[in-house]
Amino acid sequence: MKWLFNILDVWRHELVRVLKDEGVLVFFFVVPLLYPLLYAYLYNNETVKEVPAVVVDNCKTTMSREFLRNVDASADIKIVAHCADMQEAEELIREHTAYCLIYVPAEFQKNILEGKQSVVELYSDMSGLLYYKAVLSSCTEVSLSMNQDIKAQRLVGATKEQAETFAYPIKYKYVPMFNTQSGFATFLIPAVLIMIIQQTLVLGIGMLMGDEEERRRKGLVLEHIQDKKPLTILIGKSGVYITLYLFVSVYLVCIVPRLFGLIQIWQWQELIAMMFPYILACVFFSIIISTFAKDRESFIVLFVFMSIPMLFMTGISWPGSSIPAVWKALSYAFPSTLGVNAFARITEMGALMEDVRPEIIGLWIQTVVFFVIAWILYRKEYKK
Amino acid sequence: MQKLRKIFAVAKREQGRLTSRPLYLFSMILAPLFSYIFFTTLMADGLPNDLPIGVVDEDNTSVTRQIIRNLDAFQQSKIVEQYSSFAEARKAMQQGKIYAVYYIPQGTTQLALASKQPTISFYTSATFLIPASLEYRDMKMMSEYASGAITRSTLYAKGYTESQAMAMLQPVKMEMHAINNPSLNYSIYLSNSLLPAILSLLILQVTIFSIYSELKEETSKEWLAMTDNDVYAAIFGKLIPQFVVWLLMGFVYLVLLYGYFHFPLHSGLLPMIILMVTLVVVSQAFAVFLCGAVPSLRWALSLATLWGVLSIPISGFSFPKMAFPPALQGISYLFPMRYYFLVYVDQALNGRPFGYTWIYYALLCAFMLLPIVVMRRLKKFLLEYHYQI
Repeated sequence: MKWLFNILDVWRHELVRVLKDEGVLVFFFVVPLLYPLLYAYLYNNETVKEVPAVVVDNCKTTMSREFLRNVDASADIKIVAHCADMQEAEELIREHTAYCLIYVPAEFQKNILEGKQSVVELYSDMSGLLYYKAVLSSCTEVSLSMNQDIKAQRLVGATKEQAETFAYPIKYKYVPMFNTQSGFATFLIPAVLIMIIQQTLVLGIGMLMGDEEERRRKGLVLEHIQDKKPLTILIGKSGVYITLYLFVSVYLVCIVPRLFGLIQIWQWQELIAMMFPYILACVFFSIIISTFAKDRESFIVLFVFMSIPMLFMTGISWPGSSIPAVWKALSYAFPSTLGVNAFARITEMGALMEDVRPEIIGLWIQTVVFFVIAWILYRKEYKK
Repeated sequence: MQKLRKIFAVAKREQGRLTSRPLYLFSMILAPLFSYIFFTTLMADGLPNDLPIGVVDEDNTSVTRQIIRNLDAFQQSKIVEQYSSFAEARKAMQQGKIYAVYYIPQGTTQLALASKQPTISFYTSATFLIPASLEYRDMKMMSEYASGAITRSTLYAKGYTESQAMAMLQPVKMEMHAINNPSLNYSIYLSNSLLPAILSLLILQVTIFSIYSELKEETSKEWLAMTDNDVYAAIFGKLIPQFVVWLLMGFVYLVLLYGYFHFPLHSGLLPMIILMVTLVVVSQAFAVFLCGAVPSLRWALSLATLWGVLSIPISGFSFPKMAFPPALQGISYLFPMRYYFLVYVDQALNGRPFGYTWIYYALLCAFMLLPIVVMRRLKKFLLEYHYQI
């Protein structure tokens, strides 16, 4: 029974050490508490609406005005100015008054009436991809419904339905699933939440280990780890981090998405089956990294920038199927890759246990491997 | 002259400090290089190709098989598997094997030939936003073609010419021009903003770390004594060697993006060199300001990190500023990266005259002057602080 008391002793002292350390508390509690709120609030509008657009209408007829009125009425585009010529319109784009330009040529209506094809030219400032999407999709929608009416008129004697069948012998229907409005928060926040668990654990545990190093250099040794076996220390310490992060994770995974009305269609079995090994893998991963810490702060400088490449390695943004093999292989060295993929599919796509089995098995393999490596490193670290 | 010699002496001392710790080698050279290589190789194709799509073809006729072959031929899409039911395909989506499903119900060909207008449908999962929107584009275009092909052959049979047939099919057509990034290259769009943001984050962190490590090692008095307690000279001397390294990394970035990858550079290289120098100086100055404003290594470093990481979304290159909640739109003015991004867009991407950009430069210069406010505080702190664990 002595070994159990030893573990509990390490656990108790390590917990006190965490709770007394301002810097560690920032990473374990303040960052996970506030950072996701900031992020989710920033992306809360999900998509960009009413992108300002300028218009050059050289046609100035009933048809061109109808087209532009319908574009203006769409949710994505707001026409902020009608310009006399392209020079004037371009100037408004240069001044960032508008981000899109819609050019209706003089022969717009004439062509339609003569049975020729009419072309409307759209221009988009490429400082943001969403401007492009907004102007293209709203103008295309308007033109499609306009086309239906025109076709009905052209097929003399045909009903609208007949004209429609003629133009579209095969109809099509688009059904967006899960993230139905292609929202930014819905797409990015789950990944950010899972990344935060890993990154704050690395920074917090790195700071604790750096603190030990600094003390050791000054001849101060933490009493509660003296005369303890490395395995006892490893289990005792990791026990603290795991306990704390069970609470942190409930907040991140259950409460934050609810606060911002993000999609949550998970079942608790899947969520627990995935989050538990994820926290374990993150803790032992962090312990491995922490053994390289020489002082309290250096990890902040060494590790934070990696959050961005790591986020891209998960495949949540740039698709996993297009990630080069080298980076793909590297990505499995971090728990975040499996964690983000499993969590996004569980929470937003309602994936069941059998759907995320490879990820969950992977997380358990990581847990075991990281644990063994951490143990080996602790044996070196804490040998007498 | 005397002063210059003192600054030079501090710079020489700093050079020794920078080379004595692997941390500086890692965070000033390896970390930026890794990020450059990572992002440019990750998105080397510009757009992701061969994104996996699943197909459910309940009809299975020569017509529907042709549709599927054509969809597969699109550059961005690749049919990876045919499923026997939609439920199976949805399962594959939930397993992360495919991002989209193209569904052709039974009887499609027969109904189409009988002019009964069958409906095919396609599904995407925008949990993975980028592949979903690219596959949506391909599947929509394919569906238009599928319909158009049948109508066109009817029209040709009736004696229509090609242009008449097109006018009949699509009386009003949209022609899209993506100004200065016609292929929608994601790397142009992301690397140009993410990489300077990472560089700026590292500058903020390393600057603060290097100043406060003097406190921690209790060498700050010795450092200031070298310039007879002239805090400006001490800071200048310390930051000059770092400036040289950062600038070098900045130039590697410029050469890589505009020289090697030939990303749009409509302003010529000079404005981007000026912008890079400005970014380095502003980041250093802002870090010194934080050191003085928050005299605690831990808090200054944490704040700098928060600033640096938040710079990425707040710059507004992926999710535009106009879509932020109003409160955060205001906060975006406090992030130098936001101005870097705006200048880059005006200069390199769009080649607009300097007149449109000067205001951002003015604001960046204001950031450079921020340390003046806290210099005296910083001096006092450097001279009187005792580090305790």
